[in-house]
Amino acid sequence: MVNDESIELDHGGGGYKSWELLQDIRGALKSRGKWQNCEDDAAVYDLSSSVIPAKAGIHSKLVFTSDAFIVEPIFFPGGDIGKIAMCGTINDLSVMGAKPLGISLSIVMEEGFSKTDLMKIMRSINKVSEESGVPVVTGDTKVMQKGKIDKIEITTAGVGLADRVIENKGIKAGDVIISSGDLGEHAVTLLASRFNYKTKIISDSKPLNKEIEKVGEYLNACKDPTRGGLAANIVEMANKSRVKIVLDEKTLPYKKETVAVSELLGIDIFALASEGRFIASVSPKNADKVLEILKKFNNEAKVIGHAEAGSGVYLKTKLGALRPIEMPKGKLIPRIC
Amino acid sequence: MSEQEVLKDIHTLAKKIGRNVNLMEVCGTHTQAVARAGLKSLLPKNVHLTTGPGCPVCVTAQEDIDAIVSLALAGIPVATYGDMMRVPGSFGSLDQAREKGAQVFDIYSTEEALEIQKEYPDLVFFGLGFETTAPMSAFAIQKGLVIYPTHKLFLPAMKALLEIGELKIDGYICPGHVSAIIGSKPYEEMRVPQVITGFQPDDILVAIYMLLKQLAEDRADVENEYVRLVKEGGNPEALNQIFEVFEESDGNWRGFGTIPGSGLKIKEKYKAFDARLKYKDILDRVDFSKSRKPTACKCGEIIRGLKSPTDCPVFKKGCTPDKPIGPCMVSVEGACNVEYRYGK
Amino acid sequence: MCLAFPGKILKIQGDKSVVDFDGVEKEVNISLIKGAKVDEYVMVHAGFAIQIMGKKDALEVFKLYKEAEGK
Repeated sequence: MVNDESIELDHGGGGYKSWELLQDIRGALKSRGKWQNCEDDAAVYDLSSSVIPAKAGIHSKLVFTSDAFIVEPIFFPGGDIGKIAMCGTINDLSVMGAKPLGISLSIVMEEGFSKTDLMKIMRSINKVSEESGVPVVTGDTKVMQKGKIDKIEITTAGVGLADRVIENKGIKAGDVIISSGDLGEHAVTLLASRFNYKTKIISDSKPLNKEIEKVGEYLNACKDPTRGGLAANIVEMANKSRVKIVLDEKTLPYKKETVAVSELLGIDIFALASEGRFIASVSPKNADKVLEILKKFNNEAKVIGHAEAGSGVYLKTKLGALRPIEMPKGKLIPRIC
Repeated sequence: MSEQEVLKDIHTLAKKIGRNVNLMEVCGTHTQAVARAGLKSLLPKNVHLTTGPGCPVCVTAQEDIDAIVSLALAGIPVATYGDMMRVPGSFGSLDQAREKGAQVFDIYSTEEALEIQKEYPDLVFFGLGFETTAPMSAFAIQKGLVIYPTHKLFLPAMKALLEIGELKIDGYICPGHVSAIIGSKPYEEMRVPQVITGFQPDDILVAIYMLLKQLAEDRADVENEYVRLVKEGGNPEALNQIFEVFEESDGNWRGFGTIPGSGLKIKEKYKAFDARLKYKDILDRVDFSKSRKPTACKCGEIIRGLKSPTDCPVFKKGCTPDKPIGPCMVSVEGACNVEYRYGK
Repeated sequence: MCLAFPGKILKIQGDKSVVDFDGVEKEVNISLIKGAKVDEYVMVHAGFAIQIMGKKDALEVFKLYKEAEGK
């Protein structure tokens, strides 16, 4: 029999098993110091309590995050591993309400990796830097023997400063749930490349700091639905906020191509990842204002549901029934039945 | 016309019929579609939908899973549909065999398997499914793919359920895509109300309406709601493909055991592509005694519609989609998996 | 038991075709259907077209059924 203690691919799938593994890791790492929000997208250190005198008040919270990136293929329509490595970290800081200051970049490469490809990735990283105004300020490289690693792995970490931290647990009953654009298109791009589909859809990866900066003050909670897609992230937000969320099947944020790919491969559409979108909760009185601003960045921004007292995440189907949306269970495997 | 009108008519008919009505959606994709639309909560209280044996992963016999996992562990490269990867056998699942270093590929079509075969000439494809996937296996065998076939014919199982008579079935919601291949004609052998239907929520609603209508009028006909796809004679070309390569045999079903005439066996002419023969030496050494050992899992009874997932002692208690004990919890169209995800 | 999705044939070359599924193009094997033509809709399962599609959807069928009943 397989050893129960071995790590499975599902542990990296962004669903329930990933969450379980993280719980174990967090359990083993006991010290948190004065850091808070260690279970959100980034951790927060309140500078006003120790470093900066209490009166400062402005940008008094240090926000810190790190993420590792592997992707197949390395270059895909709309981006590459470098772009998502930058966007991932910038976005994790941004959804916490922080203004990203700088990024560290660590690269592990396989012996024989193309220098041309590496420089192509660096140019792509630089482009995100310029677009977002977030520089790469430090880093490291390692090379491994051929076959010991698959081509390239990139780890980025980033720090930012925030006045007010936007927490995952901030959704209030009565809030509306907004999506900053159509979702799942990063995953669709990768699936299309794996299964030889031809489509106009390209990866949605992009830095979110500028748009979140514009609406941040109105957001009660915010998260980027990367690994595990809308399902994993909205379930996590609902659980942490202790509210019930109802999404409306009539206004789901997915393009027809995304629906087609998910139906063709039998993959849950709610599990498809984005790398440049966020979902947020805002109080109804601010919804129009937020949408107006967001539509300047992406015309597909819209209300996708609402929060109410209770627990769990549900989809109100076109027939009018409520059915639960669950956290995805593991890696995405295409199926025929 | 709208879904709401159909729903209203369903409620009117159900009231007129008065008694409890058991409709079985024999196809697992219907089970999933019903759950995805939240349909059950909208139906009248006396109209019950029961899940039937139409999840190919669920009805695959334990012996067959044990055989294919044994081949993989013996170093034979194996490909199968993604659905099958995580189904636990007595020696673990194919996915677990892969973790241990076996060459296991999840594929989406048999053409992909033919591609993989170019690099791994010894590749065995674990063929499963009903009349809908059997033609793709037949196609691939003719192109030189070696297959361990567990394909099944669906009607014998529907007949067996009626003959066993453990469960009162007032009507069948017949599978849409199997019917695209076999047509509507073969169902006429069964004397029970039947409607062939598609997979949109409205298709299923209309099918339920049509079945209730038959019951209210005391008819037992085969009706076709899925006219946009299903023809009376089905798809003769696909049937030709199946029976060029396969012949009817006894089929081994989880939950039923052997159902005469429900299996598909590779014909003598194509025996070179039958993994059961090609790797007989490896398979003969496999200890299948474990395969037949009963467990607490109630998949068998659930497949026959006798028990619902919540009746199973291990449902959610030890058996979850992450650590499935039986196949009904693995397959996303398995009754237990659907209940786990969409149930209250 | 069988996920399938309808799409429109864009191109045919022997047993192979290119099918458009709502803006996603994929190569589909059409050896199981006879006489399919470009611009026709087919139902595709596991990479193979299993049947040519007609048009009437569920609510149209319901309407026809109700009309027949009315007579």
